[in-house]
Amino acid sequence: MTINRRHFLGTSAAAAAALAAPMVKADGHGKPRVVVVGGGAGGATAARYIAKDSKGEIDVTLIEPSRMYYTCFFSNLYLGGFKEIEDIGHSYGTLASGGVNVVHDWAIGVDRDAKTVTLAGGATVAYDKLILSPGIDFVEGAVEGWDLSAQNAMPHAYKAGSQSELLKAQLMAMPEGGTFAMVAPPNPYRCPPGPYERVSMVAHFLKNNNPTAKIIVADPKPKFSKMALFQEGWANNYEGMIDWIGSDFGGDNVSVDANAMTVTIDGEVTNVDVCNVIPAMKAGRIAELAGVTDGNWAPVNAIDMSTKADPDVYVLGDSSQQGDMPKSGFSANSQAKVCANAVRGALTGSRVFPAKFANTCWSLIDTNNGVKVGATYEATDEKIAKVDGFISATGESADVRKATYEESEGWYTGITTDMFG
Amino acid sequence: MALEGDLEYGEYLASECTTCHQVDGSANGIPSITGWETEPFVTALHAYKAKHRDNEVMQIIANRMSDEEIAALAAHFKTLEN
Ligand SMILES: Cc1cc2nc3c(=O)[nH]c(=O)nc-3n(C[C@H](O)[C@H](O)[C@H](O)COP(=O)(O)OP(=O)(O)OC[C@H]3O[C@@H](n4cnc5c(N)ncnc54)[C@H](O)[C@@H]3O)c2cc1C
Ligand code: HEC
Repeated sequence: MTINRRHFLGTSAAAAAALAAPMVKADGHGKPRVVVVGGGAGGATAARYIAKDSKGEIDVTLIEPSRMYYTCFFSNLYLGGFKEIEDIGHSYGTLASGGVNVVHDWAIGVDRDAKTVTLAGGATVAYDKLILSPGIDFVEGAVEGWDLSAQNAMPHAYKAGSQSELLKAQLMAMPEGGTFAMVAPPNPYRCPPGPYERVSMVAHFLKNNNPTAKIIVADPKPKFSKMALFQEGWANNYEGMIDWIGSDFGGDNVSVDANAMTVTIDGEVTNVDVCNVIPAMKAGRIAELAGVTDGNWAPVNAIDMSTKADPDVYVLGDSSQQGDMPKSGFSANSQAKVCANAVRGALTGSRVFPAKFANTCWSLIDTNNGVKVGATYEATDEKIAKVDGFISATGESADVRKATYEESEGWYTGITTDMFG
Repeated sequence: MALEGDLEYGEYLASECTTCHQVDGSANGIPSITGWETEPFVTALHAYKAKHRDNEVMQIIANRMSDEEIAALAAHFKTLEN
């Protein structure tokens, strides 16, 4: 531990007093400072790589309100009964011992002229380079009848943790032969196959515990990611249980009533027992407060993930508008490593290598029945552009599907170790 | 096969691999690639690139690797303990 490294301890009075003092800018004084906002797939990876690779030459501060990060990835498998909630929770202890100053607080403002971030606890943190990876927030008024105050009655479970546990509890409490409804989101949103993997996992749970129950999905889109694979899997494994209503059949004309527990699809009112509302999404609010968004997302340069608005502010993951990559944990992690290499190069003169990105999204349809879609990407002047890709085929053998599922288990261990150390 | 691998570039490129492959050499569902000798490592990546080995994930990753990049990766992973 170096003596002049700042340790931000959100709750201690001494730390708060120290933080109130004016910050010295790094130009010429002390180490360059990187502040990362959001300790998820993008932010944790970026913080870890910059700290690890700069070997103490850069001060890295990670601002994240939660002490436990629950991965959205595999949260559907938790709903299906394949994972426990503890399996998808990760703490920040190893990152902290790896040299990252982990501050458990909310960033509530960014002053890009002064190059400071303000925290809810009142502290101000100075940066030379700021990396924002705050994930998503929901577009207000996206689903008629739903707002955040309805998220207990009708959970989104699209930020994992207590929302996932709530949805699972509601699923388990469904009456025999009851109805589970999902309102699916419009593009673009995090994890394109996510809602449909969830439908599969809910169907798996119901098949074993409540086989006469029904699932209805109101979807504002006419088609969705891995559609042929999911529809084949639903027909083979959950015949007659799932009614998917796309926009061609009125799925885009939907409202909900959280008090009455009804869903109205194209004028038809249905009483439901569980209603999973996944509203339209936008960049995490701090990106908007920092003034680096244009519309719902933050446009970035593909070469290093710096924003179009400010070369010293970078946006990773779901919040970024980068081109062809889907909004996924894999993508955010991949972008973080390109960004970390570029930021370190800019601050310490270390070698900067070509930007290469990749993504693979696995989904589980039923026990040992995994499918995947993946691609590689490169940076062009306009965007992150797709190079090459693949998707699982319909009609694959049980052996291939089992191997695909096992790969996803390996990947989960790999990516969470890559994020948190 | 006499290409000298650039270790620093190899370390950067390897960050793409460790999203799936464990740095500590353990394996569950995805094989271990640490501590390999250069020759079999290079041969395996070329086999995916030529689609002689059929895992699609590895094929698209190997497909865009130059010989220098494969050599750099081999040099890096060789240094990691198994
Ligand atoms: C059901 C579901 C299944 C999914 N499955 C997969 C999958 O199989 N594979 C895959 O690759 N991806 C999957 N995803 C997508 C993946 O979870 C996201 O794309 C990924 O987490 C995005 O990373 P991020 O860094 O942009 O945001 P996040 O990982 O959401 O991290 C954002 C962090 O920022 C913090 N934060 C927000 N605002 C502030 C603030 N103002 N101050 C401080 N901290 C803040 C939050 O607390 C959070 O920890 C899935 C998503 C869902 C919902
Ligand atoms: C998306 C996940 C993923 C990523 C990223 C990935 N791999 Fe793989 N890798 C796999 C899987 C799955 C296999 C097993 C494939 C098979 O059965 O042939 C594999 C196999 C291999 C093998 C052969 C192992 C053996 O025992 O025969 C090598 C070598 C390898 N990968 C190297 C790499 C390198 C180098 C990188 C980074 C440039 C990389 N992989 C990135 C998933 C991945």
